[in-house]
Amino acid sequence: MTEKEQLAILHEWIRRNKGLIFKVVRAYATAHQEDLFQEIMIQIWNSIPSFRNDSSVTTWMYRIALNTAIKWVKKENKNSRYETLKPAHHLLQEIQEPEDERLDWLFREIYKLDKIDRSIFLLLLEGFSYREMSSILGISESNIGVKINRIKKQMIIKSKNYENHGI
Amino acid sequence: MEFEEMKKIWDAQNNQALFVLDENALHHRIQSKMNRGLHLASSTEWSLIIVYLFAGSLLIGLNSYKSGVNIFMFIEAAWMFATVVFIGINRMRRIKASRQFDRSLKGDLDFALSLSHYQLRLSQIINLNLIPMGAIMIFSGWEAGKLIKVGALMLISYALAYYVGNKGIQANKKRRSELEILKEKLETDN
Repeated sequence: MTEKEQLAILHEWIRRNKGLIFKVVRAYATAHQEDLFQEIMIQIWNSIPSFRNDSSVTTWMYRIALNTAIKWVKKENKNSRYETLKPAHHLLQEIQEPEDERLDWLFREIYKLDKIDRSIFLLLLEGFSYREMSSILGISESNIGVKINRIKKQMIIKSKNYENHGI
Repeated sequence: MEFEEMKKIWDAQNNQALFVLDENALHHRIQSKMNRGLHLASSTEWSLIIVYLFAGSLLIGLNSYKSGVNIFMFIEAAWMFATVVFIGINRMRRIKASRQFDRSLKGDLDFALSLSHYQLRLSQIINLNLIPMGAIMIFSGWEAGKLIKVGALMLISYALAYYVGNKGIQANKKRRSELEILKEKLETDN
């Protein structure tokens, strides 16, 4: 595959699934979002030659994006101990249009989940089947089922608190 | 709120861009990559020129000082000087080519990419250059009757040089894909 072809494929994938990367970035990073965005893009770019059409492009991109985000969070946690303040030039800027407050709440709660639960809940919201989730995350379907039940219950309780008290 | 409600809220945001690209920040990032690439290209060229000049001169000096001239040592030294000339010509070409890029965001990005391509090509050529140089050294050891000693020494030092060179190539590939991604971002956004 030539570099030009690879770039054309990336262009097409991004055009069709732009929202996917943004959602993963927002769920996994509050600061340094553009770093995670760039890291995910690089990993997707590198993965193009090994894509064999065994799964849909969306599933493939989710797999790459989530695995990258999980590794990135681990690395960030390590690095944050040594981090110094330096002027940041943010590549990505959040659109300031009014957003459904409940969506903002949802992202905040997703961010509070642990790394794997976050992935599972994102995939659940995206409508992936247990089998697909299992293949993306490398966790057994039964384990996914158990985790989903627990996360759902947890999120419903939190949503009730939010609706009653705004927290 | 039930899960179905959360899903509805989630689905409502689908395919909406949550972020926009800040072109000034992008330009800044490209410029910093470009400056780093320039610095790296220049320092690589100078390091290689100095190392090859020094090693070539040392070979000639040692060989002239010793009794019994080893012709392969002279060939090795000549090869090193030829490599210096090759790097010098490439450096001049690179500097000349750098003037064709304008100072726009796209111009800087193309320049940074061309630098990265240049750096990668140079590293690969220098790595390949180790093969003929190694072969000449083996002949030199064979002529001097120290084939095993010279061969082992050469194998270790060239394996080390190859390892270091290859690390540079991998780092460069990563930087190049970062630049390709930035280009992709820019094109997708426009």
